[in-house]
Amino acid sequence: MRTVFNSHQIVTLLKFDLRESFNSVLWVGYSWIYFLFQLFIYGSLISRLVVTVQHYFFYYGTGLIILSSFNIASWAGRRFVEGAHEGRLRYILSLPIGRSEFFVEQICVGVTVNIVRMLPPIMIVLLLSGLFSWINVISTLLVLTLVAIGIMGLMISLSVIAFKSFDIYSAIVASLSALLIRFSTISYPISAMNSLYAHISLTNPLSYGADLLRHVLGIDTSLLLAPYLSISMVVALCVGTLFLGIFFISKFVEGVKSS
Amino acid sequence: MFDLEYAVKTIKLTKRYGSLLALDSLDLKVDQNMILVLLGPNGSGKSTFLHLISTVLKPSNGTAKVMGYDIVEQPLKVRQVTSIAFQDPRGFWRHKPKHILSFHASMYGINGAERSAIVERVMKDFDLWESRDKKFMDLSGGQAKRLEVAKLFVHKPQLALLDEPTAMVDLDGKRIMWDKIRELKESGCTVIVATNEVREAEYLADRISIFAKGKEIITESLVDLKDTIKGGDVVEMEFIPEASDSVIHALASIPGTVSINRISRSKLKISVSRSEDWLPLATNYVHNMGLKLLSIRVSEPSLDDVFMNIIRTRINN
Repeated sequence: MRTVFNSHQIVTLLKFDLRESFNSVLWVGYSWIYFLFQLFIYGSLISRLVVTVQHYFFYYGTGLIILSSFNIASWAGRRFVEGAHEGRLRYILSLPIGRSEFFVEQICVGVTVNIVRMLPPIMIVLLLSGLFSWINVISTLLVLTLVAIGIMGLMISLSVIAFKSFDIYSAIVASLSALLIRFSTISYPISAMNSLYAHISLTNPLSYGADLLRHVLGIDTSLLLAPYLSISMVVALCVGTLFLGIFFISKFVEGVKSS
Repeated sequence: MFDLEYAVKTIKLTKRYGSLLALDSLDLKVDQNMILVLLGPNGSGKSTFLHLISTVLKPSNGTAKVMGYDIVEQPLKVRQVTSIAFQDPRGFWRHKPKHILSFHASMYGINGAERSAIVERVMKDFDLWESRDKKFMDLSGGQAKRLEVAKLFVHKPQLALLDEPTAMVDLDGKRIMWDKIRELKESGCTVIVATNEVREAEYLADRISIFAKGKEIITESLVDLKDTIKGGDVVEMEFIPEASDSVIHALASIPGTVSINRISRSKLKISVSRSEDWLPLATNYVHNMGLKLLSIRVSEPSLDDVFMNIIRTRINN
């Protein structure tokens, strides 16, 4: 079994994919504007209503960062499926690059897009909360990268379903996304939830990702899940879905159009 | 050890999609440095075969060796020596043709100034240079198809696979493409072309393989394929002053004669197998009988006739 990746092919494919991903500057700009709208309109209004959490605006802002990162990671998974649907995947599968290397490249595309698109929103949230420092920026990006890798690995693994039915895949991903966002600590702490919701949220990796980010930035720790538990869960998600993704892509993914 | 006798050697290669058997236990050998054309009705398994040996699809059963590499055990090695031009060029909507070809070259290890020079030459060869800065989504169907085929000429793989390479291409473009495909073979590549166009097969093929219902029915050279039709060659003979019954009897006794029809008093239309063997014997008979011939016209069956005949007879059997 080969253990050394062919970096030339990965870098070539990565550059090609990134050129396509950033082809529309308008779309990247729109994602920043959307983030600002969400933060300054919804975030500022909702933080006036929430009185039980101190500095809820900041709590919401960090949650919004995780949510946006989750959306980008989901996009990377969907992009993989759309690639199969549009005939792009079969071409890539015919090129001299290993399936595992291809999976790693796809993850790298998602991570790079995530960093580029999230950097301005992160800086704005940190500046507004008076926590701006390059260490905090880098720490935030690190947490987001781990969460994004986990989500992308999950979404790409789920793409196996899309080769049987694109409709079923879309329904599962949409439902899963809705549940992952609602039953998590992205927008509200565990302490604000009833017992049932809290138990469900404790099985959700996004809860650990969001609370890990808040720990790193030093938000009120009484509201958060234990930091060692959070980091363990996030790393486990990241590593687990990486292996799952490599397994699925090597064993099951073929260059057929999804139906 | 690698079996390098053949460019492709399949062993019970099978592909199933649920209950649909797309390719059924295919055993096919393709010699090196030749053009094999796959002919067959839609859904006969031609594209599936190309996708399997390019490792885009995984076989349900069996395997194949491509340039000595096993498609199941050594798929990456196979991809390093193989390249495929797909039937419908899709994807990469926002990329420009120049970038697509440069990327393709780079994936096969061609970089720097060499890559730029090759990409420019190939784009000019395929009449794409003027469109180099258009986005893929703005190309016409024919341009997109030419771009798809042009990828193979950037790095000239050991095994080039082309799925309906001239579909959507105008007549001039077809001629250019066919000549380029022949050049590919002359440069040392083995080429497999899947097509529905009989004329394309006649123009390109060293050997033709006819597929139907996921099976290879026959693989022969064009000449041998035509000879598979019993009585496929038609010989028209005009005698002076007339073709008597004794002549008809004499001709009927020649090996290879299938049927004789009288068109007029002096003219006969004779269906024979392998006219090249039959004619010397026939003229010898005529000479020995002291008869005179005004004209002889020989017509071979077209590949269309051969294809339809094989599909009708062998599939029905």
